[in-house]
Amino acid sequence: MPSTTAAAEKLLLQMVDDYTEREISPEDMPMDAAGDFPAGFMQKLTDTGFLGIMLPQEFGGAGFGPEVTAKALNHIARGNASTAVTLEGHFKTIDQILKFGTPALQKQLLPSANDRIFAFSMTEASGGSNPLGISSTATREGDHWVINGDKIMITNGGLAQVYCVLVKTAPKELSVFVVDQDMPGFSFGKREDFIGLSGTPVGEIVMDHIIVDDDHLLGKLGDGGIIGDSAHDDARILMGAVLTGIMEHELKIATDYAKERKAGDTPLTALQVTHRKVADIAMRKETTRLLYQNAAKLKAAGQPYSEEAAMAKAHGSRAAVSAGDDTLQILAGYGYSREYPVEHLIRDARAMEIAEGTVEKMRSAIATAEFNK
Amino acid sequence: MKIVVCIKQVPETNNVTIDPVTHNLDRRGLAGVMNPFDKNAIELALHLKDTATEDVQVALLTMGPDDYAESLREGMAMGADTGYLLSDRAFAGADTLATGYVIAQALKKIGDADLILFGRQAVDADTGQVGPIVAEFLHQPQITYAASLRLSGKNEVTAERLLEDTKQTLVAQLPAVVSVRSELNTPRYPTPRNIQLSFDKPLTVWHHDDLDLDDSRLGQAGSPTIVTKVYAPKPVKRELTPLTGTPSEAASQLIKALKGRQLI
Repeated sequence: MPSTTAAAEKLLLQMVDDYTEREISPEDMPMDAAGDFPAGFMQKLTDTGFLGIMLPQEFGGAGFGPEVTAKALNHIARGNASTAVTLEGHFKTIDQILKFGTPALQKQLLPSANDRIFAFSMTEASGGSNPLGISSTATREGDHWVINGDKIMITNGGLAQVYCVLVKTAPKELSVFVVDQDMPGFSFGKREDFIGLSGTPVGEIVMDHIIVDDDHLLGKLGDGGIIGDSAHDDARILMGAVLTGIMEHELKIATDYAKERKAGDTPLTALQVTHRKVADIAMRKETTRLLYQNAAKLKAAGQPYSEEAAMAKAHGSRAAVSAGDDTLQILAGYGYSREYPVEHLIRDARAMEIAEGTVEKMRSAIATAEFNK
Repeated sequence: MKIVVCIKQVPETNNVTIDPVTHNLDRRGLAGVMNPFDKNAIELALHLKDTATEDVQVALLTMGPDDYAESLREGMAMGADTGYLLSDRAFAGADTLATGYVIAQALKKIGDADLILFGRQAVDADTGQVGPIVAEFLHQPQITYAASLRLSGKNEVTAERLLEDTKQTLVAQLPAVVSVRSELNTPRYPTPRNIQLSFDKPLTVWHHDDLDLDDSRLGQAGSPTIVTKVYAPKPVKRELTPLTGTPSEAASQLIKALKGRQLI
């Protein structure tokens, strides 16, 4: 008989597959066309407990570890990448509160993470990859902090209710505070009109004189850079999982079509040109899976995983775009049509060459890690 | 109140093979899942638990190899309180009668079950017989294919049966055995948290010696059903007559053709 852990993982993934097939996949195409989650979609996902997959049981969650959590997002992304990315943004934020929050802050905030979405916001109009260039500030006034600033391009921005925000607490000091949409001075700005991941809202929050106590500081003053990097690392593992799911979707479309279609009298499955493309899609999918699962395994074991997480995202994002391009070519005219999901899968995958650090930045990080060995 | 839901694990795939000797389904090496119809019975039990004013305990019962515990865990993750697995080589090869006998003996040992629920039928063998057989062994009233069910009084249930051209309303005294239709409800998903917590719930495994059993009624030897032959029916070649013209013209052609064959 399998161990309890393995049996629980099997049951979870079985439930995720069942839910994805019945509740998520049918919404994939309508969601892309509408540019949003359908009414009631997120509530049902919440009611079924998806927000608490990796939240420790002491806070009312399920307490699954990094490897199983990543696999769950992989399976969800087979049906719809936006749903998986929304959960990714939520999970990476919870992870930072678990790593850096005080027990009191965790006890205060985390039980609500079962039914409220959390988001991590770093980017400002001045740029996303240059944290010291941000303008948002937290200023000490008496026994509390006053936060001012404008954050953009937040995954789940507008949907989430709780935000970890990167601010300056001194000219060269970055810190992270937790704010809530119900706090006076908090408001939502515009939602981005992105070309892919259409269900996932990406938007702006405006903080105008939000007052918080010391207990809303994550980690210590000056830990902002470390927490930001940690959030990126955790997100990149999960993005590798999402990208694997996208490629599994692409591969299924490519093979299903090839098995049905003929070029003249020759089945596409008999053509070497099809073999080459299908094999390449399958290899890209498997290499990305191995990369994200390795990074998740290192994380679960308490080992460093920053470089491996960067590899999963940097390799996986280009791999999924290329796999989508090959799938489109196999389907030819149908692949170029909006009637088939291939074109939106390419747009979805393309987002992850940018989000959570550009692939160029990933490669710099990977190369730097190699130079330092 | 105590409700026992009897469930079965079935092959995950439709690609099953037939044992060349026994002509039974060969389940060896096949991954199993809970029979989908049994989830409707579990959902009914959980709905009664959720809405009752008194304490309702929901137990699951199944017979099969050790890995059938997976389906019990899934049902407990949906919300059932306990699980019982009847597992012994002596039970292997049982037909519906021998299966019903062992389940009935296990229900006697569990004791005090007010309501015993079954899914409509199992998707692998499609008999729908075990529920009624268990009711006979226990000498309890039975309602099959219930499309709705409610507790209508102390020690009483009222169920509706939807038949081909009839709707029956039946009242049964508890304890009773009921098999339910899939139209009855939409089974809930097990939540991730409840999946984890299901492993803290009690799961009891009973072997041959744990039950009061007559060995002559067990397994293959205790099964009067003999499968002499299993074959795939030959496809019937059907005549195809295309209907042409406007929808109105096509309809006229169809009516004429059906009348010509004295079908209408």
